[in-house]
Amino acid sequence: MENEFTTVGKRVVRSDSLAKVTGEAYYTADIKLPGMLIAKVLRSPYPHAKILHIDLKRALKVPGVKAAISGFDTYGIKWGVFRYTKDHPMLPTDKVRYIGEDVAAVAAVDEETALEALSYIRVDYEPLPAVFDPEEAMQEGAPQIHNEFANNINIHVHIDVGKVDEAMKNAFLVREDTFKAAGEAYAMMEPYAVVASHKNGFLDLWMPNAGPHVRAKALSNLLKIPLNRVRIRHINSGGAFGGRSEVSPGDLIASLLSIKAGGPVKLALSREENAISTRQVHDMIAMVKTGMKKDGTIVAKDYRVVYDGGAYSSTGPIATSVPFYVYEECYRFPNVRYNGYRVFTNKGIRGMYGCHGRAFLAGNEAQMDFMANELGMDPVEIRLKNGLTSGEITATKSKITSCGLKETIQKSSERTGFKKKWAKTQKFKGIGMGCVAMMCGFPMGFRSGSSCYVKMNDDGQVTLVTGLVDNGQGNESLAIQIASEVLGVPMEDINLINADTEVTNLDPGAYSQAATFVGANAVKVACENARRKIVSIAAQKLGVREADIVLKNRVAYSKKTPDNKMPISWVVREAFFRGDPIVATGSFFPKIDFEREWVSRPWGQMAGTFSFGTSVAEVVIDRETGKVTIPHFTAAHDCGRPINPMAVEGQMEGSIQQAGVATIMEGNLWERGFLLNPDLLEYKVPLACDMPDIETIIVSSRDPEGPFGAKEGGLTIRMNAHSAVACAVANATGTLFRELPLTPDRVLDALERKKGIKR
Amino acid sequence: MILPKFEYKKAGNIAKAIAFYELYNGQARYLAGGTDLIPLVKLRLSTAMAIIDLKGIKELKAISHQGGWLLIGANVTLFELKNNDTVREYFPALYESLDATSCETLQMRGTIGGNILQDTRCLLYNKTLEWRTARGFCFKMGGETCNVVPNARACFSNYCSDNALSLIALSASVKLSGPQGERKMRLEEIFSGDGRNPFTLMPGEILTEILIPMKRSKGAYKKLRVRDSIDYPLLGVAVSIKGKTGRVCVGGIGPTPLVYNLKDINGSTFKDVAEKAYSDARPVSNTTLSPDYRKKMVSVLIQRASKKVLQEGK
Amino acid sequence: MKTMKVTFRVNDEKVTLQVRPYETLLETLRERLDLIGAKEACVMGACGTCTVVVNGIPLRSCLVLTPEVDGASVTTVEGLKKDEKLHPLQEAFMEKGAVQCGFCTSGMLMTAKALLDRNKRPTKKEITKTISSNICRCTGYKKIVEAVEEAAKKSI
Ligand SMILES: Cc1cc2nc3c(=O)[nH]c(=O)nc-3n(C[C@H](O)[C@H](O)[C@H](O)COP(=O)(O)OP(=O)(O)OC[C@H]3O[C@@H](n4cnc5c(N)ncnc54)[C@H](O)[C@@H]3O)c2cc1C
Ligand code: SF4
Ligand code: FES
Ligand code: FES
Repeated sequence: MENEFTTVGKRVVRSDSLAKVTGEAYYTADIKLPGMLIAKVLRSPYPHAKILHIDLKRALKVPGVKAAISGFDTYGIKWGVFRYTKDHPMLPTDKVRYIGEDVAAVAAVDEETALEALSYIRVDYEPLPAVFDPEEAMQEGAPQIHNEFANNINIHVHIDVGKVDEAMKNAFLVREDTFKAAGEAYAMMEPYAVVASHKNGFLDLWMPNAGPHVRAKALSNLLKIPLNRVRIRHINSGGAFGGRSEVSPGDLIASLLSIKAGGPVKLALSREENAISTRQVHDMIAMVKTGMKKDGTIVAKDYRVVYDGGAYSSTGPIATSVPFYVYEECYRFPNVRYNGYRVFTNKGIRGMYGCHGRAFLAGNEAQMDFMANELGMDPVEIRLKNGLTSGEITATKSKITSCGLKETIQKSSERTGFKKKWAKTQKFKGIGMGCVAMMCGFPMGFRSGSSCYVKMNDDGQVTLVTGLVDNGQGNESLAIQIASEVLGVPMEDINLINADTEVTNLDPGAYSQAATFVGANAVKVACENARRKIVSIAAQKLGVREADIVLKNRVAYSKKTPDNKMPISWVVREAFFRGDPIVATGSFFPKIDFEREWVSRPWGQMAGTFSFGTSVAEVVIDRETGKVTIPHFTAAHDCGRPINPMAVEGQMEGSIQQAGVATIMEGNLWERGFLLNPDLLEYKVPLACDMPDIETIIVSSRDPEGPFGAKEGGLTIRMNAHSAVACAVANATGTLFRELPLTPDRVLDALERKKGIKR
Repeated sequence: MILPKFEYKKAGNIAKAIAFYELYNGQARYLAGGTDLIPLVKLRLSTAMAIIDLKGIKELKAISHQGGWLLIGANVTLFELKNNDTVREYFPALYESLDATSCETLQMRGTIGGNILQDTRCLLYNKTLEWRTARGFCFKMGGETCNVVPNARACFSNYCSDNALSLIALSASVKLSGPQGERKMRLEEIFSGDGRNPFTLMPGEILTEILIPMKRSKGAYKKLRVRDSIDYPLLGVAVSIKGKTGRVCVGGIGPTPLVYNLKDINGSTFKDVAEKAYSDARPVSNTTLSPDYRKKMVSVLIQRASKKVLQEGK
Repeated sequence: MKTMKVTFRVNDEKVTLQVRPYETLLETLRERLDLIGAKEACVMGACGTCTVVVNGIPLRSCLVLTPEVDGASVTTVEGLKKDEKLHPLQEAFMEKGAVQCGFCTSGMLMTAKALLDRNKRPTKKEITKTISSNICRCTGYKKIVEAVEEAAKKSI
């Protein structure tokens, strides 16, 4: 069966890589348009302050300045992903809520002039008491950041399944621990940039984004411009990792400036601006209480998780839920209560992240190991015992259609000799395992599906048109590869037009792991529809049955008599003659429960399918300095069928860096409302020398719904690599961690704590 | 981030460089590799009417032996120096500190002179003007307080050169040339003890040469950092011994390295130094790792370095 | 402020420009010469994304003043191809899957090129050390190291 495919399942060179290795690939900051102006933003120096007055007059007088704006130039519409989270004015007029918030902006002929003009903008503030700690913010009497949200509680996700208290009472073993984690920085290598060009009532925009269609809709609302006049265009994106999924203040600012100035405007954020003013990742405090039977069966889970949400909602309801779901989609919880609170503080806004929820996930997994140990079991046994299997229903009523969890656990533990190493124990060495499941897509209303248009050109080449987005993962190449397989033409014959709201159709975007399962599925359906047309003509012309036709390498031929053949381009021309050219559309809409809602109805089918993965980290601890090194890391991921194994490995390897190694070094540092490491020097993105030897294991299964049986390419590792490292450190130190990242000072503390206990 | 306005002048010899300096009435900065200076200028932490490039001065690029000294021109890059045979054979502490400095690409640009004269650092100082304005200026920016230690009367910024530490451990001296003429001093004497203005160099003085006594030594350099490349030291310890005498130099904590002379080295020497240095070190909360931890590591790294040095002889 | 005349070679072509004395090489390449392959990610020397090769040495072009390269020879990612043929490093980066979002790629390529130019057969350890000058947020570096190894093999 494997050999039946020409490109699917092969380690193909990604279609976008040539432009990237020659330096020709365009990113937003590279754009130069005639008459383009440069924008700069004035930001709040206060964590919380009333805006009394903004005076732009002097700035406008600086020669070379073409426009200046503040919130008073907007319609004052507040943005929110959900009906009930519309709290973000983008350019506020009432008050500022964090240091770095966008307050005013100018567009000028060059950067120097723009900067000079900024210095002439006068803003009168009245500082207000601010609050930075989410637990404090929830207290009665804390400064209120939004009037609409009492006690600064932005979102409360409450899930209660079964009888948690009763089950806890009857459990053989109960344990409760609290884990903290600093929020991470997305630290995508490309700082945020946006180019807006408003001409004749039409607005064109370029920016790194994970979902052009939702952005266009948001901007159309904020600017009161009809949707058909807002066009988000395609451009390469230098990484997103969840951080570029929604409209940002910069989009509105560049658009407004362009409208005012009557010419194109570029706004490119500096690294520091990118860190302090765009979204960052939630800091978290997770209370995890688990009840187990004597045989290790989990009977109940009780959670209270507090997410530091920063100043605005962003994707709050999703962010408050996802860590829980990826966990409940992995293990069987007959009784479970989850109280997730996302709380406003006077700090930068927090969004979704590819590795989101490490305090919760690593906390759960590390605690499970400790409980297993008490029961005389090891991490492998306890995970196999509680792991979900194909056909089971999760606590919140999602059916698991295909499930390779068991294989990922077994393969990764066999490959690493896990059980032996865990029982050990060589002093100061540790091994740990993390598991998780990942929903491939989630309910986004009518935006949950994708559709694709494909046409065959007179030379037999193909044009694909799809809303599918690529933030560097390789989604574009994936679409081309699938089309190539279905249509029997090489990848280089296929031109892709994607993520351009004027041309492409709605697509969920690249932030819910839907690109493969939904977007690429639509591509496949469209190409199959086109293929049927080709096959029908070819069969006629070659005088064979349709079922006998093979399309391969630009040729249509008979399987039985391969010499009976014709170029696909002839078929295409014939179709033109017949007035019925080879064009087709195709759509895919996942089978999900659309009644499901993050807060009001947190149950029902979450996604069309789920992927599964297991990470195993091996660590060595320097007992004098507490420094952790990770010599080996093994990751097994059930991605359905890997369309391009090289791309799946790449995602897994990147995840090991961004979630795994990050566990020992990454974290935002705050001093009240000030971000202390808004740069690439003091924020520690792991370097090549910090990386373990990596072994990736692709557990290939066949998802019944996925394109060629594929699900998604590697996100489970992004969501469990932190657990593996934290568990390994716990295994090595003999104590549970309290706070991530596990920097050497914290690890040394843990070692000393442990010693104290022994003594 | 664009640079503020300044003139660029390239000097072909030392006299010319000093002449430029005087031409701009001291409102000038010398430029070697620029890997320390340019970020500071970008952040508006260093301002100048002119930048005087020293890279055209040939005599600053040489490494030579003379009268029992190894003479290193200030403009020799860290990478060149690391690959110098004499350094490898005679001065292992220096070799190790060079190898541990930032990353290979920066070693190829950064010079030893610039490395020694790099400004002190602080998590609340090396920030943009906007960030610092919002936070309020501290002593080192001309303000009235320290933002890390409330009510302090000094600046606790950290001197983060890796290589000055090993050079001090090797008893290096430096030659300076300025408007007032030439002078030579021991390397540790260039430190003022004041984080705001960490060096005793006089206005316009150029560091021309570093001199290390040409004696084979045993040595080691241990560096505390989170990532194994690019990162500055959160603490650095250099140890170098020749026979029964030697030196330990501790840096990365506070504006001035701590120096300990060792005589009649015996079994307990390093333990004593480690204890002494532990109590002398005054880290504050201005790096990504906690001060308590960095203090603890002072003795750990000294013991480690000494272990390596003592083992070498066996 | 007066501009200065600067002459240097870029990808084997001589250019003479009037630049601001406080202009960085990265700005000159991107804005005056439209060589946008070198990217701006931190402009503080912390990431290596802007790396170009000057007289055989990899430099973070965000820290170099353009007047400093007067008389020098600069190679950017655009100059890696020779006679329309990709450099072995470019080929290997593609074939080994070392490119994801691509934002760090040109800096990685130039850092690796300078390595191969001075050391034809670097060990894996040497490669890792060299590219530890650069940050990549996407790949975990494994495939980048493999690509450099592969290119070294090919270029002999
Ligand atoms: C990301 C990053 C990481 C770094 N990590 C480290 C690290 O780990 N360890 C470390 O030690 N350093 C580190 N550095 C700092 C720097 O790269 C090195 O210290 C380098 O050696 C400085 O040399 P330079 O020639 O570039 O100095 P420059 O920037 O040219 O000069 C530094 C200072 O010295 C003055 N100066 C230079 N030469 C002379 C001279 N001959 N006479 C008088 N004054 C002179 C300049 O005016 C300036 O004030 C790092 C820098 C960056 C950007
Ligand atoms: S230690 Fe204090 S005075 Fe010195 S730079 Fe830091 S904040 Fe400023
Ligand atoms: S952009 Fe030059 S080093 Fe980061
Ligand atoms: S490929 Fe995205 S930063 Fe390296």
